[in-house]
Amino acid sequence: MKASFAANGRNLALLAGSAGVLFAALQMSGTPPVDVLTGLAKGSMGSPAAWSGTLRETAPLLLAGVAVMLGLRAGLFNIGVEGQLLVGALTCAVTAIHLPGAGGLLAGLVTGALGGALWAAPAGLIKAYRGGHEVITTIMLNSIAALFTASLVTKVFRDPTQQSVTTSYIAQRMPMATPGAVEINAALVAGLLAALWLAWWLRRTVAGYELMAVGENPVAAEFAGIDRRVVQVKAMLMSGALAGLAGALQVAAVEHRYYDGFSPGYGFDALGVALLAGAHPLALVPSALLFGVLEKGGSAIQILGVPKGIVGVVLGVVIVVSAAFRTRKGGGDHG
Amino acid sequence: MGEIGLLLGSTLALSAPLMLAALGGYTSERSGVINIALEGMMITSCCATALIGLATGSAWLGVAGGLTSAVLLSMLHWLLTQNYRMNPIISGMGINAVALGGTNYMSQRLITVDTPDKIPVLPESLYYVLAVSLPVLVAIYAATTRGGLWLKAAGGDPRKARLAGLRPDRIRLGGLFATGVFSGLSGVLIVTHASRYVDGMTDGRGYIALAALILGGWKPVRAAVACLAFGFFSALQIQFQGTNLFGAQLPSEVWSSFPFVATVFALALLSGQSSAPPGLGKL
Repeated sequence: MKASFAANGRNLALLAGSAGVLFAALQMSGTPPVDVLTGLAKGSMGSPAAWSGTLRETAPLLLAGVAVMLGLRAGLFNIGVEGQLLVGALTCAVTAIHLPGAGGLLAGLVTGALGGALWAAPAGLIKAYRGGHEVITTIMLNSIAALFTASLVTKVFRDPTQQSVTTSYIAQRMPMATPGAVEINAALVAGLLAALWLAWWLRRTVAGYELMAVGENPVAAEFAGIDRRVVQVKAMLMSGALAGLAGALQVAAVEHRYYDGFSPGYGFDALGVALLAGAHPLALVPSALLFGVLEKGGSAIQILGVPKGIVGVVLGVVIVVSAAFRTRKGGGDHG
Repeated sequence: MGEIGLLLGSTLALSAPLMLAALGGYTSERSGVINIALEGMMITSCCATALIGLATGSAWLGVAGGLTSAVLLSMLHWLLTQNYRMNPIISGMGINAVALGGTNYMSQRLITVDTPDKIPVLPESLYYVLAVSLPVLVAIYAATTRGGLWLKAAGGDPRKARLAGLRPDRIRLGGLFATGVFSGLSGVLIVTHASRYVDGMTDGRGYIALAALILGGWKPVRAAVACLAFGFFSALQIQFQGTNLFGAQLPSEVWSSFPFVATVFALALLSGQSSAPPGLGKL
């Protein structure tokens, strides 16, 4: 009991410190804090157009967040979602440009997911069979993916008729729902379905149970007859496939092309989305929406002269504070 | 001869920030604290050095500010991982997000077009001397002194260290303090070399330093050698850009990706676990 009071006090101290940092940052912005907050809310939720933008930001974060969480439940930090997403997006764009029609688009989505899985494979294999930490390998694979896709789009797949470094546009379009002038694209629907699927798959299938068992305690899982290595490789491949699919859908449903600087860091934000959501896949939905609001609202307040970096500060603080509260709830004292 | 001298010079210029940052990674990870926050500490140090140097006009105050800011972030990493018992990856990610966002915010608010471009700095050669000598000194410290043994004990098996009457969390406080100083120095060097602050100017070099640390088997001198190799390949890339090498023109991206590919292969071939501090990430 006493320990939990102390932990509460510590977390409250952290919360107060974070609030102080954010307040100081708002004060420094030179714009009244109230104006910043209302600007953020209006820019992200004030009109159907603002909501459309927010949901457009939310979609890739949700699906990539599902990818991160699948890895986390197996005890793997897939920091490589960013790179897997880039590879999936470029693969999808190139496939859909060369294969016409709905079949080509479908092939683009499938190859995009395969590309993501392929990019994640070294991290899974090295973790399972060589014991190399997946965080390091995926950080390295991210950098390689960024250079690799930049090189390909500049030198091989570039559309020479365009001024900027980009592939040509794909001809196919995916359906979009517009209830009350708010655009809901296919990528968002796919993200919601993926979150539902993960919730079901983890709880109701043997493979999902094995994955969580390895994530909770690899040694105990081995004694229960689960091959830890196979599960880890499989989890990394699935996580990479979902990340690749997130990139592919971003091409198929939103951007309709691949260009240099395609991702503004969806993969990194997705880590925050998953860490904030905690253990349950359905919690990814509000978490991704919060990130979407901050991203869209953050762009909107740049007009007020508030640099975009404030969003990074808010997200970092949210990740740390939520982790502090969860650590106390979940963990015993190792003292 | 001139060309070789130029190549060696730019190798040192490109390697030195990595060597200092890798050393920062060493004192943290050798004491058992996983640290992906080097990048955040470096960019914060760059920004603080520039802002405080510009505000006060004093190079010494600028450097002191840069080092202090990195040490503060490193202390935050200690507090979150050792006191709050947070996963070090989550803590590191949070610190990086706050640092990258915060420096973007601060620099855009405070460095305007009318700010004179000249940041007061100390002579650059000072940092090169430090970058080359410190890995050797730290290696000697770790191998021969009581403090060095404590560092290894805390990173080897914190529980056994505790049974032997040590306080791993206090030892790690010392390790992370050094991490702040070394990664801060790396940031100071980066901003000194550029003589102005550019948003995001560390450009992922904190992660490359981490790669060098792993390639070097978590040993200071070997990590420094790995940094020199990375720097050498970057220098080669800059020097040979656009010229034919072995009959073919390699895209610059191939050169740039060399450190990352080498690290992945090293992890795949050498087995990452064997050389890592066994107590890495344990409380």
